[in-house]
Amino acid sequence: MNNDLVINLNVNGDSRSLLVGANRTLLEALRGDLRLTGTKHGCDAGDCGSCTVTIDGEPVLSCITLAAEANGCEIGTIEGVATTGKPSQLQRSFDDNVASQCGYCTPGFIIALDALFKHEPDAPENRIREILGSNICRCTGYTKIIDAALEAQSVMLGGDSEG
Amino acid sequence: MTSMLPLPEFKLLQPTTVAEALEMLSANSDAKLISGGTDLLPSMKHGLFKPKVLISTKRIKGLKDISINEEGLSIGAGVTHTSLRRSETVAGFAPALLEACKAIATPTIQSMGTIGGNILLDTRCVFYNQTRFWRDSINGCLKCDGSICHVVQNKQECFAAHSADTVPVLMVMGASVVIAGLQGERTVPIESLYDIDGRDSGRLKKEEILVRVIIPKTRGEFGFRKLRVRGAIDYPLIVTAVRITPDGGRVVVSGIGPAPIEIQEVTGAIASGDFSKAAEIARSQVKPLGTHNVSPNWRRHMVEVEVRRCLEKTSSKP
Amino acid sequence: MKDSCLGRGGRKIDGMERITGRAVFTADMTRPGMLHAAFLRSPHPHARVISIDTSQAMKIEGVKSIITGEHLPINFGVIPVAQDEHALATDKVRFVGDEVAAVAAISRSIAIEATRAIEVKYEVLEPVYSIEDALNPEKPILHEGRRKASNVLRRVFQKYGDIDAGMEEADLIIDEDYFYPGSTHVPLETQTALAEWDENGKLTLHSSTQVPHYLHKALARVLQVRTQDVRVIKPAVGAGYGGKSDPFSHEFCAAELSRRTGRPVMFILDREEVFYTHRGRHPAKMSLKMGFKNNGEITGVDFKVVSPGGAYASFGVVTSYYFGVFMTLPYKLENYRFEAKRLYTNHPPCGPKRGHGAIQPRFALEMHIDKAACQLGLDPAEMRRKNGVEPNTETCNGLRITSVAIDECIEEAVKASGYNEKYGKLPLGKGIGIAGSAYMCGALHGIYQNEMPQSAVQLLVDRSGRVAIYSGTSDIGQGSNHMLAAVVAERLGIEPTDCHVLEADTALTPVDLGSYSSRVTFMAGNAALSAVNQVRERIVSAAATKLECEPSDIILSNGEVFNGVSPDRKLEFKEAVVLAESAGGTVSVVGHYKPPPIGSRFRRQSVGPSPSYSFTAQVAAVTVDCETGIVIVDKIWCAHDCGKAINPTIVEGQIEGSVYMGVGEAFLEDHTFHTSGHAKGLHFGPSILEYKIPTIHDTPEIEAIIIESNDPEGPFGAKEAGEGPQMATVPAIANAIYDAVGVWMNEAPFTPDKVLRALKNKARADKRNAKIGGAE
Repeated sequence: MNNDLVINLNVNGDSRSLLVGANRTLLEALRGDLRLTGTKHGCDAGDCGSCTVTIDGEPVLSCITLAAEANGCEIGTIEGVATTGKPSQLQRSFDDNVASQCGYCTPGFIIALDALFKHEPDAPENRIREILGSNICRCTGYTKIIDAALEAQSVMLGGDSEG
Repeated sequence: MTSMLPLPEFKLLQPTTVAEALEMLSANSDAKLISGGTDLLPSMKHGLFKPKVLISTKRIKGLKDISINEEGLSIGAGVTHTSLRRSETVAGFAPALLEACKAIATPTIQSMGTIGGNILLDTRCVFYNQTRFWRDSINGCLKCDGSICHVVQNKQECFAAHSADTVPVLMVMGASVVIAGLQGERTVPIESLYDIDGRDSGRLKKEEILVRVIIPKTRGEFGFRKLRVRGAIDYPLIVTAVRITPDGGRVVVSGIGPAPIEIQEVTGAIASGDFSKAAEIARSQVKPLGTHNVSPNWRRHMVEVEVRRCLEKTSSKP
Repeated sequence: MKDSCLGRGGRKIDGMERITGRAVFTADMTRPGMLHAAFLRSPHPHARVISIDTSQAMKIEGVKSIITGEHLPINFGVIPVAQDEHALATDKVRFVGDEVAAVAAISRSIAIEATRAIEVKYEVLEPVYSIEDALNPEKPILHEGRRKASNVLRRVFQKYGDIDAGMEEADLIIDEDYFYPGSTHVPLETQTALAEWDENGKLTLHSSTQVPHYLHKALARVLQVRTQDVRVIKPAVGAGYGGKSDPFSHEFCAAELSRRTGRPVMFILDREEVFYTHRGRHPAKMSLKMGFKNNGEITGVDFKVVSPGGAYASFGVVTSYYFGVFMTLPYKLENYRFEAKRLYTNHPPCGPKRGHGAIQPRFALEMHIDKAACQLGLDPAEMRRKNGVEPNTETCNGLRITSVAIDECIEEAVKASGYNEKYGKLPLGKGIGIAGSAYMCGALHGIYQNEMPQSAVQLLVDRSGRVAIYSGTSDIGQGSNHMLAAVVAERLGIEPTDCHVLEADTALTPVDLGSYSSRVTFMAGNAALSAVNQVRERIVSAAATKLECEPSDIILSNGEVFNGVSPDRKLEFKEAVVLAESAGGTVSVVGHYKPPPIGSRFRRQSVGPSPSYSFTAQVAAVTVDCETGIVIVDKIWCAHDCGKAINPTIVEGQIEGSVYMGVGEAFLEDHTFHTSGHAKGLHFGPSILEYKIPTIHDTPEIEAIIIESNDPEGPFGAKEAGEGPQMATVPAIANAIYDAVGVWMNEAPFTPDKVLRALKNKARADKRNAKIGGAE
């Protein structure tokens, strides 16, 4: 029984064609086949949020998503956030606020927050907190993460810009 | 490949119509449907299911529709919780359902999981939802790979808990589900899906697909509460849903047994506004089990508290 | 005029690479021909291994090598006096999850499949789980062949002052029992190692470790190779909190499998395996008797603790001492008696978790102080403040105290929280509580006895103006790379980003003992300071000649080197380096740090003393739902004396992360095992779903308050911030619960079930008392 499938993914704007087993997760395809190792595996069971990527703009846990199910979709990973080498505002706010300590969970947080701000740029703080409930951080106590998210949002909405 | 928990081998089929999916189900003896996969895939990684074929509902047209017709609100089984939460139609028609969707796992899982998947969610147990190594250490359990129940020993009965957050709300709203089979569609009340034994996760016949849920236009106020240990990334200890009408109401409690429990004979208490009484009645009809750091007594006490608070919250809505 | 980078908050020099996903963690690496490994683990809590048959497993296509205990017969253990571990079981297995065999195959799936095809015959033995059983001489012994047949790994007994006299002079004696549960670290990155054995017989191991140096030594010992043929590299690490401080089975097995196959071997533990690897917080059953005078002075502390610590020693010997050593801080104490027993039980081994050994006793001591304050009618905050230790003193157990700001910590936490306005005055269900604490800044002695420095830093400054910092320190997310760069940059008047840190590569960097015991800022920071002072001297001397002034007049600032007398005469930093390099050759120096020879009066007190101590005061505000027992922490204020905040944002992050971890231990985290039925001895739920570490919704608002006592020996006055701030969280919450509803929660975690039971018991007692009162 040959369970392999050819799939086409648009990953961070690049069209990629892959031959994958039906049981290949999107996380395995990204980290293994495409060597996009910025997306992390924390539990491999859908509990921690470290592997969050977007499919057609919606956040998903790539460790419990079949690569073949993402066929024909646009995938967004952490590697696609800093465009042309320039970190996004959210990334800069994470950096300025030291919202990333060990950094293992950080790509998942960035992707989840990016997806939120894309759909709801002016999401109130309680909504941002709700979204952050998807991801576990074991270092920061979330304090600096929420600070960074609010700061980035404020800049992106044209508040106090740092130029 | 650098994964920690590799999935077993299987064949993936991706039909685009319900008819095609039904044919695939009947042609493959060891097949399982996959929708959002948020529960099935972790379970497969742990060896709880070993289907040879997975049939994905993701590409089936029509399973993602939300509409209002003469029957009421119709929600396709493939609609994700996030889509439901974004739907103004649902917000207007069934706000309590949105509260239930919001309480599911995490927002990211809500953008993957579907209403159909939640309705047919596998039951949970601390002896069952474990890795293969862990379960092998106790030779499995009644629900999977074993012959005894570790919850209540010496019983040939499975106590795995129904844990679907949306189902109690759907029940009090009088929802029914539409099931497609090779012989056509049948519509049944949602509660008829739930057997009393926790073993049975396939409450449909083998060659059937849940295609949509219908919520009729019903009068009354509806309320939802979820009690869990952790603020997110957690299944319920107790889910409560209530309906209040001028002449009575309904109370459904879940998370504490293999099926959601419709509390009997609460109409009078609700009608008279005696929510404490209604809550006491609920308490007298449940026998929850303990779990880690949660004693059966506290959980039972909390059924009473949750029901009362749910009724109070619902009746005080503007 | 000086733009100092000291005390400047904000970004870390290497923060962005982790935020963009560019940082390379061990599991992100790949090598041509790389194999993947998996363990076969014991399904029995206690059993003798009779035979292992790997023949069927070896036949599976893609399997390249299988090893068992006989292939790695040398024992190891992080503490030299307790080397009771083997990479794979040699005679017995001692907990469910103990490693029995390891497989290398072309994929992880095949490796796992092969583990299932290995046949092991066991003779099942009676397991030992409880404290009572572990102390019962009739029960089986986990480790046979020790000097004394017993399941007591270590008993520590110490006596200072006159405890009997202390109790004699007390106006109030409180004697109560406490229990603090075990918990585990749950770093988001699971332990991972990549082993490469080259054709010259040299091993390179990339590993997610906090202790590359100890791992280096252990690898050479177990694999029977020369230390100079082993290279350990610590790539980016997804945190540790103490959970990556031991040498681990998978590290030895990855190396051995690579040696046998001649191919690189990647060994990634899955999430479940991390719970078995454990080395987390020791559960502690404690009895605490304390005497107080009416004015709140402490007249004596008599403390006993016993801990069922799991199947292997890990750091357990050290834990036994840490249980007792910090009880003499931060309050004055003359009379102290202490006894600890660390036991072997058939559970995953406990070890060092953030606040190692000191968290559990702190819980008991700080609740005791509030109880005394209540009974004596004193204010708990003021009682603590009045009794705080003074700078430049010595404790009764011989700890040399230098900088102390416990009083300021208490004052600031009280002020920020409005404690004085709230304590005892809030409505039923609302409460506020305080606790204080102290912790070490690295141990005076390394884990093995030696006379060498604990940390060394090498600097290489060249004509490009770049400063390369070579250090064996292990940044696991706490920001030690930034700390090193900031210390160096501050002395050279350049920016931290002008420095490049190369860390934790035992082939390239000078030894540092590792990221444990809160030692890095103090010790590696001092090593960096010693190095940069030498570099500075050379630059200053060369610049003084050029700028025609006294070396003492030279100022290094803003990337320039000035003649301080006539500041228009200046050089670019880079130009000054060229002068120094021209004058004296390549500018490369090594600095090191060795703790001062602090002689303790007590020879036995060799584990625990530190060159300095950090201090903390914490206030928690809670809401208790009296109907459900559910406690919500509304806010925590944590004032921490870190000596000097080199980067305040990073220090705040350490405080917030510490408090977060304390909140998890207060309510959710309990590393427990089934206690009955067929699953007896099995981990309750080895997953992130079942072991409930807090999400953002379970984390209160945390206000970090930095207090600077400017330690005379710390680098620029700095002390630690990574562990101390966790000490007081749980007792502050417990004291707040008492303030809210009048029950003492002597047993953590404070689950709703337990709180509600305590409330019911109190209601019953109150009713009884009212009845008795009424009858009089």
